[in-house]
Amino acid sequence: MVDFFIKVGRSGLEYSSALGRSGLFLFHSVFGLMLNLKGLRLLVHQLYKVGVLSLVIIVVSGLFIGMVLALQGYSILVDYGSEQAVGQMVALTLVRELGPVVAALLFAGRAGSALTAEIGLMKATEQLSSMEMMGVDPLKRVIAPRLWAGFITMPILAAIFSAVGVFGGLLVGVDWLGVYEGSFWANMQSSVDFKEDVLNGMIKSIVFGVVCSWIAVFQGYDSEPTSEGISIATTKTVVYSSLSVLGLDFLLTAVMFG
Amino acid sequence: MIIDRPMDRDKLLDSYIKITGLNFARGHRAIFNGANLNIPRGKVTAIMGPSGIGKTTLLRLIGGQIKPDSGEILLNGRDVTKFKRRELFDARKKIGMLFQSGALFTDLSVYENVAFPLRAHTKLPEDMIRDIVLMKLHAVGLRGARDLMPSELSGGMTRRVALARTIALDPELILYDEPFAGQDPIAMGVLVQLIRLLNDALGLTSVLVSHDITESLSICDHAIIIADGQVIGEGAPSELRKSESPLVKQFLNGLPDGPVPFHFPATNYRTDLLG
Repeated sequence: MVDFFIKVGRSGLEYSSALGRSGLFLFHSVFGLMLNLKGLRLLVHQLYKVGVLSLVIIVVSGLFIGMVLALQGYSILVDYGSEQAVGQMVALTLVRELGPVVAALLFAGRAGSALTAEIGLMKATEQLSSMEMMGVDPLKRVIAPRLWAGFITMPILAAIFSAVGVFGGLLVGVDWLGVYEGSFWANMQSSVDFKEDVLNGMIKSIVFGVVCSWIAVFQGYDSEPTSEGISIATTKTVVYSSLSVLGLDFLLTAVMFG
Repeated sequence: MIIDRPMDRDKLLDSYIKITGLNFARGHRAIFNGANLNIPRGKVTAIMGPSGIGKTTLLRLIGGQIKPDSGEILLNGRDVTKFKRRELFDARKKIGMLFQSGALFTDLSVYENVAFPLRAHTKLPEDMIRDIVLMKLHAVGLRGARDLMPSELSGGMTRRVALARTIALDPELILYDEPFAGQDPIAMGVLVQLIRLLNDALGLTSVLVSHDITESLSICDHAIIIADGQVIGEGAPSELRKSESPLVKQFLNGLPDGPVPFHFPATNYRTDLLG
């Protein structure tokens, strides 16, 4: 019985200390971005690696999700004779929910895991230590550009995801199933509100971007410097990010639309 | 042999690093237990001891990467343990550390690796950086390898490039973590020569942590042997060889059993087997 309490207490303490560490870590890295030419160059490089290289998976997934939405939506809406609303349905679903959420999940799998593995391996091969010993702060040099790249690219990726998804919906709804194009766009235009829908979706993706990038770089930085440690850290990144995104999505939806 | 000898004034002035009453524990295991040691200025000092005794930890403590539980680590008269983050990063510009793995940045070429500390800490024009990098690479004999990536280097070459990077900023102190581990005889010979040469040519203080006794004793001016969280012997290599201490003897002669037991502490063998 006492053992049980000791175990609970110890793991509680470990969790709180990890949370504290990650908080401090976030604080130092967020404000550690070098605001000069060198810092900008590092940031651009990471924007390319984290953002541009994630485009393929984001565009392909967005396209297919938009197409599936249109197909499913059409088959239900056509029973009520309101298949013109398919554009509105696809756009709202994507902009409010699926855009930010699915883009964040893909981001965690594609970019987050890569960030964790890269930083973890840099730690295991003493590259971070050697940087520290050279008087260069790895939080500024390695972590900050990656973190900011995640912050910046996530909302853009989510927006691209939604836009491509709408295009996918158009392909299936209009070109294949024959919904009238005028009502496809008109219904969408009249029902999607910029502030209510687009902006709220954007806010969601910003929050997800912060959380996913934070988890990814922290797990890498805090990993055990062994091959097993890196594998655990990478798994944790994907699992924690996915769960946080889904949990936060519910909370944010409840606040925004509830 | 000298054990925890109280320092006289001259010796104090002469030491680049002075550690007093160092305590450091990892979990419940005490790594250092009130250790005192001095590292003389301008010399090559070898710190030796059985593996797992905290030699690398000692280098990390000196570099301020970890903090001791108690004790003082004076680096050129200033206490590393009391440095603020910024002061620490400033102090490290004068320290070079050669990691066991070399720790080259795998995404940068050999040239860029050596240029890294110069770019980070100086505003030198590109052609001057180029000259310095080539000079440092020439010193380790790898000027021709400047365009290779770290993955294309052999173990010995990696360590030499790392050494060139370490001396890029002309440090006052170089810490070598197991410089000879896993090196073939030729690479080892090159490294031994380089460490000695660099120390004398650049007027550095060098500290090397190793358990390669022959190589270490052949180049060092001063040797320190650590065991059980304490300094058990220190002095010039010739003094140490004459030492009567059983621990020092066991270590220097590589005897499997002695004061440092062959067996990890365990219950009685017979009762363990027969229950």
